[in-house]
Parts: sequence; C-alpha cells; structure tokens
Amino acid sequence: MPSLPDPTLHTAALAALEVATNRALTLSPGGPQILAPFDDHVFAFHCTAPTLDCYLLPSHEGLRLTGVYDGQITTSLTGTASDFIDLAQAEDTAATLVNGGLSMEGNSAPLIELQRVLSALEVDWEAPLVDTLGDVAGHQIAQLLRQAFSWSQLAASSLVRQLGEFVHEEARLSPPRLEIEDFYRDIHELGLRVDRLESRTQRLRQRLQKLRS
Amino acid sequence: MSSKETTHFGFREVDKEQKATLVADVFHSVAGRYDLMNDLMSGGIHRIWKRFTIELSGVRKGNTVLDIAGGTGDLAARFSRLVGSTGRVVLADINESMLQVGRDKLLDQGQQGTIEYVQADAQQLPFPDNSFDCITIAFGLRNVTDINLALRSMLNALKPGGRLLVLEFSKPQNALLSKAYDSYSFHVLPIMGRIVANDSDSYQYLAESIRKHPDQNTLRDMMENAGFCQCTYHNMTGGIVALHRGLKP
Repeated sequence: MPSLPDPTLHTAALAALEVATNRALTLSPGGPQILAPFDDHVFAFHCTAPTLDCYLLPSHEGLRLTGVYDGQITTSLTGTASDFIDLAQAEDTAATLVNGGLSMEGNSAPLIELQRVLSALEVDWEAPLVDTLGDVAGHQIAQLLRQAFSWSQLAASSLVRQLGEFVHEEARLSPPRLEIEDFYRDIHELGLRVDRLESRTQRLRQRLQKLRS
Repeated sequence: MSSKETTHFGFREVDKEQKATLVADVFHSVAGRYDLMNDLMSGGIHRIWKRFTIELSGVRKGNTVLDIAGGTGDLAARFSRLVGSTGRVVLADINESMLQVGRDKLLDQGQQGTIEYVQADAQQLPFPDNSFDCITIAFGLRNVTDINLALRSMLNALKPGGRLLVLEFSKPQNALLSKAYDSYSFHVLPIMGRIVANDSDSYQYLAESIRKHPDQNTLRDMMENAGFCQCTYHNMTGGIVALHRGLKP
C-alpha cells in the first residue's frame, strides 16, 4: 500500500518555494554563499495540522527543499502551522523555541543562526526590474514599489500600536504586556518553589522512613 | 502456427526479437523533440514526478548512481549535483539517438566529469555485480521486452541495501480521471505528436504501451519476485504515474 498521499502537489509547492528562495538569495549581496556555513546541515519541519513534512538542506549553492529525507537530521521541529508562523515571525527565535508550542529535537544553534541569516537578507529587487525594463523605467518602478512597501510597513506598525492601545487602555480587554510577563514570571517562580518544596518533602519522608526502620 | 515467442508492442502482438527494433525506431524518431513533447504532453508535471524520484532516491555525496533509459538526462543532471565530485553517475540508454541528445544537452549545461554515458540494454546490464547505490529507470521499463529479466539484472548491479526506483505510467485510481485520461491519450496525444514531432504513430504507441504496462500492485509483486525487498509505491497525479521503490537485501 502507498504510505504517502499523492505527493505531486506537495512536491510542486516545495519546488516553487525553492526556486523563489534561491532567486531571492541570488539577488542578495552575499548570494547563496551566505548559506555555506550550513553545508551538510539538514533541518526537518513536521507540521501536524495540516500534516506536512518539509526538509531544508542549505548549502553554498543555495537552498534545497524536499518532502522526504532519510539521513541524519541536525534539528527537527514538530508543531502546528501556527506554531511555525510564530517562529518565523519571532524577534527572539531562541525564546520562541523554548516557550512556543513547538517540540524540538537536535541542535537548535544552527537553526537559530539560519533564521537570523535568512531574516537579514537584503534582496535587491531592482536588479531584475532593471534587467527587464531598462535603467530608467526599472528604477522608477522600483522606487514606487519601495515607497509603497515603506508606507505599508508604517501603516501596519501604526495599526498594530493603535489596536494594542485600544485593547489595553480603552476597551480594557486584556492587561498590558508587561503585566502579563510579570504574571508569568511569578508563575514560573512559584513553579520552582513548589518543585523545591516537593524535593524537601521527599527528603523528609525518606529520613522519616529511615528513622522508623 | 509460429513457434516464436511473442510479446506486445502497444496493442499489437509481435515477435519478442522484433520488439526492441520497433521500440528503437520509435525513439530514433522522437529523440530530437523528446523534451519538448514531454513538457507539452504533461504540462511540465513530469519535472515534478522526477523531482519526487530524486527525493526518494536518498542519493548523497559520493554515491554511485545508474540512470537506465536516462534519455535526455533530466535525472542524471540532478544526480550529478547530488553525488558531487566524489560520486559517479552513469546515464545508460539502449537507444543511440536518445543517448546522443542527452549527452549533447548535458555537455551544453556544463555537466561533465561525474557523468558517464553507456549504451546498454536494461535486460543485460554491462556492469559488475554490486556496483551501484541507486538505480533509476524513468518512463523506460514499459518499453523493455522482458521486464522480469531487466529487474533481475538491476538487482545484480545494485549494492546490498541499494535502491531501485521505477518511475512509470500506471493505472489512474479514479474512474472519472481514467476516462478523461484515456480520451486525452488516444485522441489528443497522437495529434500533438503529428504537429510537434511529425510522428503520430510513436505517440499512439506511447498511449497503447501505457495500457499494456503492469498496474501498481502487479509491478510491485514483480519486483518482489525478482528479489527486491521492502517494495512500496507512491501514486502521483491520481495514479497516472507511480513511483515504485525496492531495496536489494
């Protein structure tokens, strides 16, 4: 019996993503060479909802994406799609790996480094436009796109800030972030104290048993 | 009544000795337009099927790979990059014209050094036993006169633990898709072949040979009977194509 569902779509999607990523790498100042430190590393992503497996094989020639891999894995992450989205958007990858919903096996350091390298990519989108449309038109269109992108980024960050203020200050739907962090820190501290207390109780119980015997 | 053994060539019954010549004529005729026709007929999806074959091959740096019926070298080119300078890829094809087109294409792409070109019959592979980590045959097995003999020959050429991957047209798993596929194969393909490759007969043979090829389970059983273990298959695009994999014990 076949052990995998029809892999055509999955393989096609990975192929398209691989082409797009490698194109972006080619247009970045360092080129695919920036992935040279990750030669021979393999990163596995197992998404449980929806069920999807993806393996990242970076090398000095670029990024290879596959849906199947049988060899040794450097880092393996398992979680839902939203967990992976959180990781991709995280400013502090290490914290998200520890505190997020993902379960991890293997060495996290290369994965954190890869995420840092990929998120710091400065893709020169102007180059292919200039190649296609010529110097003047290409530059003008690139300028327009840059302005539109910059405006949308500003608008998005302003919207997020104002929405946050509304939720916390006006509607009082949720406590502020700092308060939540304080609360979690207290819970964490309480958890540690309970653990210590449990150890002490255990020790006392053992001593009591010894005295009785 | 003739005492000669017969086999199928498309829907025709022909002498076993005659089939190789007839198949050779088909590929001599289409070699020049082979890649273009593959792209047109499959809408480019054959590249996805081959990509999945590469993924499942598990080929690594330093491996030795044999691509039988390698044709225009799509798989060999990719394998060459995977095995690196320490590995070895052999592109084998029984048909001289296909091998010539494949070699020219790969040389034009700058693929040289790790790829060797061998004109060889899949039924009698000219390699020592236990030579390869992986053997692939993509869209070639149905043209072989004696599939069982070819499978045994591949088994011998593989190293213990080596993998055989057979990518081949198969039986669609959905009745509606099957009807649409039949209609496309017998009505559109020959016309496409006549317009693009100036040869409708070869593409009529293609459609017929696919129907005569063993279905998924039969081919898996044949691989097991030939001596392969852990034989599995993956249906692709609704079973139009299946990728079989087996290991040499």
